[in-house]
Amino acid sequence: MNFQTQRTGRHARESIVFALLRAATYAILLCGTLIVGTIAFKGAPVLFKPSFPFINTTFLTSAPETLHVFEYDGRKMELGDREYRAFRGKLAADAAANPHSEIRIPHSEQSYVYSAGGIFPCIVGTLFLVTGSMVLALFFGVSSAIYLNEYARQNAVTRLIRLAILNLAGVPSIVFGLFGFGLFVIFLGWNVSLMAGWFTLAFMVLPVVITASEEALKAVPRGYREASLALGATRWQTIRKSVLPYALPGILTSSILGIARVAGETAPIMFTAAYVVRDQLPWQVAKLGDFLFQGVMALPYHIYVVSTKIPQNEYTERVQYGSTLVFLILVALIAAASILLRNRLRKKHQW
Amino acid sequence: MKTRSNETAPENEAAATPPPDGTNPGAHSPFAGSRSPLAPDSAQAVRRSLAARGIRAFFGSTALVSLLILTLITIFLFREGLPFFGASQREIALYRQAGLEYIDILRRAETGHIGLVRQLSDIRLRAFQHFVETGHLAVSDANARLAAFDNFADRFSDAIGPVRGLVSDIGEAATGIKTRAAVENDKAIQRQQLLDAGKASEAGQIKIEPVDFQKEIKPILDTLPACRDALRSTADELRAILAAAPSFDGRSLAARMETFQKRARAYIAALPGIENELSGWTPSEPVRWHASIVSFLTGREWITASFWQDWYGILPLFTGSLLASLIALAIAVPFGVGAAIYTSQVAARREQSLIKPAIEFISALPSVVLGFFGIAVLGELLRSLSQSPWLDWLPGFPIIERLNALTAGCLLALISMPTIFTLAEDALTNVPRALREASFALGASRLQTTLRIITPAALSGIISAVLLGFGRVIGETMVVLLCAGNRIAIPDFSAGPAVVTQPVHTMTGIIAQEMGEVVRGSTHYRALFVVGMTLFILSLAINYAAQKILRRYRLPSA
Repeated sequence: MNFQTQRTGRHARESIVFALLRAATYAILLCGTLIVGTIAFKGAPVLFKPSFPFINTTFLTSAPETLHVFEYDGRKMELGDREYRAFRGKLAADAAANPHSEIRIPHSEQSYVYSAGGIFPCIVGTLFLVTGSMVLALFFGVSSAIYLNEYARQNAVTRLIRLAILNLAGVPSIVFGLFGFGLFVIFLGWNVSLMAGWFTLAFMVLPVVITASEEALKAVPRGYREASLALGATRWQTIRKSVLPYALPGILTSSILGIARVAGETAPIMFTAAYVVRDQLPWQVAKLGDFLFQGVMALPYHIYVVSTKIPQNEYTERVQYGSTLVFLILVALIAAASILLRNRLRKKHQW
Repeated sequence: MKTRSNETAPENEAAATPPPDGTNPGAHSPFAGSRSPLAPDSAQAVRRSLAARGIRAFFGSTALVSLLILTLITIFLFREGLPFFGASQREIALYRQAGLEYIDILRRAETGHIGLVRQLSDIRLRAFQHFVETGHLAVSDANARLAAFDNFADRFSDAIGPVRGLVSDIGEAATGIKTRAAVENDKAIQRQQLLDAGKASEAGQIKIEPVDFQKEIKPILDTLPACRDALRSTADELRAILAAAPSFDGRSLAARMETFQKRARAYIAALPGIENELSGWTPSEPVRWHASIVSFLTGREWITASFWQDWYGILPLFTGSLLASLIALAIAVPFGVGAAIYTSQVAARREQSLIKPAIEFISALPSVVLGFFGIAVLGELLRSLSQSPWLDWLPGFPIIERLNALTAGCLLALISMPTIFTLAEDALTNVPRALREASFALGASRLQTTLRIITPAALSGIISAVLLGFGRVIGETMVVLLCAGNRIAIPDFSAGPAVVTQPVHTMTGIIAQEMGEVVRGSTHYRALFVVGMTLFILSLAINYAAQKILRRYRLPSA
């Protein structure tokens, strides 16, 4: 009898503790979902339309403009800067044509910067930044991993390199920003530019890419290398033909998570690559050489700007939630692709 | 021949058993011996060997990139940051030579008095409310009842007059000296630049008249008797005023008045100390060599672009960073570790494959998005929640500022959670099976096994996970920049747990906020780099500690 009660008490305690742990787990997931959900809920009306083509193409394909809110003819008007000027120009012309009519030219009652138009330059800038830095990071990262996993021996230098990678992974992103500013922007004189941003971001994700690539290389069975070497292939031939092809999917998928991180970082590009506003698109440069040395608008930095530099109200909300949602979708696509790809490859490559 | 055969030997077994470098390659590599007789010692073979070496050197050099980056980060942070200490040292020296320090000593009497006057007006406000709301007096009647108090407060507030007059008079003289010294300094730099450019004649035209500090400071020093008189007369007058302080009937008001009087007496008692400091002050006393380091590390003020004197003290920023991070960890550790225990020990396979990608997804949430969420939703949400009456008992509620350490801390918790979860989960999963099985075999329940066997066995991994999570949040920029409130002041810890609802500024935030606006090469600019250096060193230390703990307490693998 005694034994029985003890057992049930124990069981009850066990299930309570486990239920608590489970609640903690799902609370985390709930927080994440709530945040994403709020942004999606508020941002969706900006991004999507009920009618064809269902997507607000203006928002995605035009540059940011100042929003003017004013009253005209008893109606509340909201116009972007260009339309507003055209509107006023037309009214002024009308007034000049028939001077006796009572056409009043409205004055902008309130204006909010960046709140009209779209975020096209920011999307483009982010894509350029991410692509460039990822190419650099993959180049240095995969080569480093090949050396560490295929060539290097356990000696002092290798240990030092591994220590450096480990420590580099913990350096705050703002410190990378300062470093990029000190080295690329000032010392090398690249100014605020794509190049400076590329290198800063690439160096920041390097530890992630190296670690991911090493894991992928380690996962290739030793037999593949030994067989290749036994057939008389050199070490490089072995790596190129019998190791890399099998490791590459793993390298790429894990590195994509690194891309997501690069795309999401704001602090390192604040003083190395991002402009608050820029009229030209990246390809509108006088000569090709200027391409690398131009600053760009970037989505994360734009979100920072629109959430701090303009007030929060119904007019500015659109650009704030809209840009955030676009950005989230961009990052989510990258991350989801990597997770899906990895799960599929795991099933495909089983040694 | 020996080296070449070594080149081609599979070295990935080195991971398991490090070969004694090149001493006897044949013993380790079955291919080495067979390769040498086959390879013809021709030009082709030499070329091939060279190519192999070239490739190896290429990969080796890319591997060195990480090391290079770490070195470059160190070099460039120090290159831009270290001159701060020299510049700051010069500024502190000028602060003393121009007599600003002298005036700041005197000004302490004024600031202390301002605090007391503020307390008086607070008491008046409460008394007025008390009379009107609980005593049901008309506004004019309430004011009439407070007439005696107002008279007392006015006299108290005017008593500082002589000191205030002196401070503003000699303040102007001191800033005048400082400005002149700065102008001469600029001229000297300009001349040096001209000389460097080889324009000697133009450089000769710039006349530098070095400021004779001893002569200039004389009028300020001569005010010492006047300062002494002002301080003494103020003290006497305050004492006289306090003796005739009005009293209140209400208990809480009387208590407040009591505290005020106590503080006022302590203030008066401290005035002779200020007087002594003033007479002991000498402008020619050299500034100690470590003054700038001390003022950076222990400075309680971060004041920039001030007409009086800039101070770069990291303490308010450091405490702000620490406060926000600790709030984050207080939330993230129970949840993150709990979730890790649940996922690794309790959850079924299917559930695991739902939780893990979901948490990875949270880790991919960009910090600027979380920051935006904080500014747009969470700040307001927390504030309106804090205003609901049934949460009144919580410290710091209702929240006054929308953006504060708590708002930032909640979001930082979400940022550190994936780090803590992933690493802790790894540590828990890697606990040898034998421990678990042995525990079950001894009749322990699942709960006992999980909490008493598995978790303690993985504790070193969990602690290092928490440390790395801490490193992650203390280095996080965007969330704190957007949500922490950005008030540069040491949080008032005397408020108890309510301190979490105060706005703070952080080390990362200040760099992001001010870096874009500073003049390159100025002291302020360098100060930001020193803050960056501090962050860098801090992150290395956290990393080191995490590794150390992991190594030191690792279980022998079964």
